[in-house]
Amino acid sequence: MSTSFLENFLITLTLYNILATAGISLYGIVTRPSVTKKIISLTILGDTFNVLAIFIGFRVFSVPPVLLDLDGSVEKLTTFATSAVDPLPQALVLTAIVIGLAVNLFLIFLALQMYRLYGTLDSRRIRELRG
Amino acid sequence: MDFSLVLLALFSAVGLTFTYLAVVEKDLVKAVIFSAIQSTAYVAILYLLRAPDIVLVYLPVAVGLYPAALLFLIGKTEKVEEE
Amino acid sequence: MRKYLVLASIVLTTAVVAYVTTYLGALGPLGLDTRYLAKLFLANTYNPAHRELTAMSPEAVTSIVWDFRGIDTLYETVVFYMAIIAALAIYRGVSYSNVRRGSGLSLIVKVVTKLLIPINIAVAVSIAAHGHLTPGGGFQAGAALAVVSVLLAVVYSAHSFVELGVNLSRAVALRSAGLLAIALVVFTPIVISALTGTQAYLMQNYVKVDSAFSFPAHVQSQLISGTLIWFNLAEFLAVSFGFFIIFMLLSLREEVVREWVGKEDEH
Repeated sequence: MSTSFLENFLITLTLYNILATAGISLYGIVTRPSVTKKIISLTILGDTFNVLAIFIGFRVFSVPPVLLDLDGSVEKLTTFATSAVDPLPQALVLTAIVIGLAVNLFLIFLALQMYRLYGTLDSRRIRELRG
Repeated sequence: MDFSLVLLALFSAVGLTFTYLAVVEKDLVKAVIFSAIQSTAYVAILYLLRAPDIVLVYLPVAVGLYPAALLFLIGKTEKVEEE
Repeated sequence: MRKYLVLASIVLTTAVVAYVTTYLGALGPLGLDTRYLAKLFLANTYNPAHRELTAMSPEAVTSIVWDFRGIDTLYETVVFYMAIIAALAIYRGVSYSNVRRGSGLSLIVKVVTKLLIPINIAVAVSIAAHGHLTPGGGFQAGAALAVVSVLLAVVYSAHSFVELGVNLSRAVALRSAGLLAIALVVFTPIVISALTGTQAYLMQNYVKVDSAFSFPAHVQSQLISGTLIWFNLAEFLAVSFGFFIIFMLLSLREEVVREWVGKEDEH
């Protein structure tokens, strides 16, 4: 079984769209002056790379990595092992999303503290402050 | 021909579109809403990539908790990004 | 107007580049077969014939998270613990007892939310308790329950936490209870084997080639997958109350917090 030209094109297009999204969010982190906007871009960048990791484990014509029959026969296990998608990226991304949320929430707390101390969240103005 | 591949390419383009809109938007509340729409597109992508576990964790995190925390931050600080 | 032109050009460029790449065959043929490592995990996730290799759970992702690559997840939990501690450190000294009563949103929203919250809690507990059988687990359930804290903070205002009896120290205590339960399950094989004079590994789930220690995989013919259900329930407590702490602090009024931050600067 092989894939057609259209299927190859759609998979490649998805890959390039994800990479372009990563590029745009990186552009947002670097060039936008507001710290809030930098945090928004950072969350998008993290999500995009998580999706990219799962996309790498994806295979066309496959099923989710959850076994449905529990009788433990060898034929069913073999079918499952050859037809399911790669579960390893999913397991790594699962923890990465929750840890990423906790770390980004800490960044939000830091931004709040920055506003309390400097009175602004504009990174250009914070750079001019002397203190 | 697997029709889910068409949806995959379509939703990744939607994610790309709303990422760009979120990055260039001056009104920060609108930027958070655009980022939530981008996350919704990603939920669909993860479902099509056969990752039900990730859908369950990503849906509350990216559509519920991130926008809520960012709106708390925006409500307590600046609402508009100055050029 | 200019931004829509830029956007259209970005979307068109990716499409054209993808077409050219596919036409030239630059990325090679699509791989239709998963890697050997993935097959190994999938074949051993529920395999009663190989008790020294399997995790006895039909859910391959939960098996990897808490059994095959369990130490990985253990250290991820430590990172999560540190991030919440760091957030608490910024708000050190802020007391939750003198929060004033806020008005919140309208009555209609409040009644609907009152109906939604029990459903949300039930779904979260179900996701945690069935994490070893169906898609779900401790992290997913924790994120689902954290939504309740956002609903409470937005719809009813920060005072609702005090009314429900969830103050900061109780949330920290519940989170620590979850982390302690994880540590307990991790160290149980070591302690029991030391007492009986045999050998075992950290985070061991079932019998290994050189160790006889094993958690029960079934309780009265119900599959509980050894340590997986305990890890899922403990992680559920740790994650959900970690996020409860964060959103309780975020929902505090800025004047209250500024008072404390200002006080500290005077010292």
